Amino acid sequence: MRDNLKKVFVLAVILIVSIVCLTGCSNEEAKEDAFSAIKERGYVVMGLDDAFAPMGFRDENNELAGFDVDLAKEVFSRIGLEVKLQPIDWTMKETELNSGNIDVIWNGYTITAERQEKVAFTKPYLENRQIIITLADSPINSKKDLEGKKVALQSESSAVDAIYTEPELVESFDGGEPIQFATNNEVFMDLEAKRVDAVVADEVFAMYYIKIKGPEKYKVLEEDFGDEQYGIGVRKSDKQLLEAIDTTLDEMREDGSYKEIYDKWFAD
Amino acid sequence: MISYFYRLMPAMISGLNTTLKVFSLTLILSIPLGVLVSLGRLSKIKPLNSAVQLYIWVMRGTPLLLQIVFIFFGLPIVGITFDRFTAVMIAFVLNYAAYFGEIFRGGIESIDKGQYDAAKVLGFTPFNTFIRIILPQVIKIVMPSIANEVITLIKDTALVYVVGLGELLRAGKIASNRDASLMPLVLVGIIYLALTALLEAIFKKFEGRFSYYH
Repeated sequence: MRDNLKKVFVLAVILIVSIVCLTGCSNEEAKEDAFSAIKERGYVVMGLDDAFAPMGFRDENNELAGFDVDLAKEVFSRIGLEVKLQPIDWTMKETELNSGNIDVIWNGYTITAERQEKVAFTKPYLENRQIIITLADSPINSKKDLEGKKVALQSESSAVDAIYTEPELVESFDGGEPIQFATNNEVFMDLEAKRVDAVVADEVFAMYYIKIKGPEKYKVLEEDFGDEQYGIGVRKSDKQLLEAIDTTLDEMREDGSYKEIYDKWFAD
Repeated sequence: MISYFYRLMPAMISGLNTTLKVFSLTLILSIPLGVLVSLGRLSKIKPLNSAVQLYIWVMRGTPLLLQIVFIFFGLPIVGITFDRFTAVMIAFVLNYAAYFGEIFRGGIESIDKGQYDAAKVLGFTPFNTFIRIILPQVIKIVMPSIANEVITLIKDTALVYVVGLGELLRAGKIASNRDASLMPLVLVGIIYLALTALLEAIFKKFEGRFSYYH
């Protein structure tokens, strides 16, 4: 029996070491430019989080819709490609891209220095701000008023990076740090339940949410936590695809079709 | 509210479809595999026995979510690529077979050793002894534990979101985000409860059918 246990133990160690080694040693990315292969195949696989309204989400007929979906369909049809929409788990997006399951990440994907190490970004195609929202009757009117207050935001979102550009302010929050939830929906529900005093969120999502829930219930502070830009992520090796998307987006800005799609989703 | 629920149904049904597919395929494949696992675990052949022990340890010792991620995202690194649904099924079947295997082992070990001798005296082959005498009693003994696992399984299917498959809970979360409302999640809860009620009714019937030797 003891012998048996020893064997199991040795096997287990070998297994763990090999797993660590396999995942650790072979993190190289695909080196070849996949554009000609994609062209030949006729479609591009676009990864998106299907729960991110209004950029990419499922409408009432369970069809994928949103600003990014419309924009991508137009861009790729001009390049001569069909778009296959592949819902992904957002925390797995770079892994999905670099393992070749998807060809682009296109879903309110904020350009950050950290992400630029893993993927190549197109030129920014949409501006976004990290805004501060409170309930309409809140006494909070400026960033300074957040001192001693509870602030909520979405974890692993760019809102986190944005507020930590002002660490002293974050220190002064009630609890010394923000309260983090998996989705912005939960963040806003906590605000409505009055367990937090303010939330920091993507302007794009926040305005969509506020429009649904009734603008009279909320107050958006004039001050914000800075601008950021959305880009489209592709594999670093896919330079041709990147260029094709950039050129097409430039064209669409010039001929007004970009504005048309923008107005459909964001104009009141 | 009813009309809102009604409008949500197409999305829910498409999510439910994935949930039920993962659920039923896992059950169909992992229960027979579980019997084999239990036999391997009880085997006197040492390498087989140790291998099965190692397998059970890994499967029960790591989160199912991790196993799915590993099979779908990890294995392609060494050149083994499965599509989304296949990867999920492999993870679920391997994971649940380990749990079922241990349940069956418990059942088999609880049978009095004297029965094997008695069967031998009566001229049963080892294979026939197992199939005709031991297994029917084991099924009866393990039924409540199996029911427990099966009900856990229906809820575990929600984990497939990690490879981007849309199941019931995910459909609810999407609608909840889109409509800025909790009601879709209430509907999801009701559907899960209905499914579990159905499963419990089925198991009650089964347990009734298996209440022989009483």
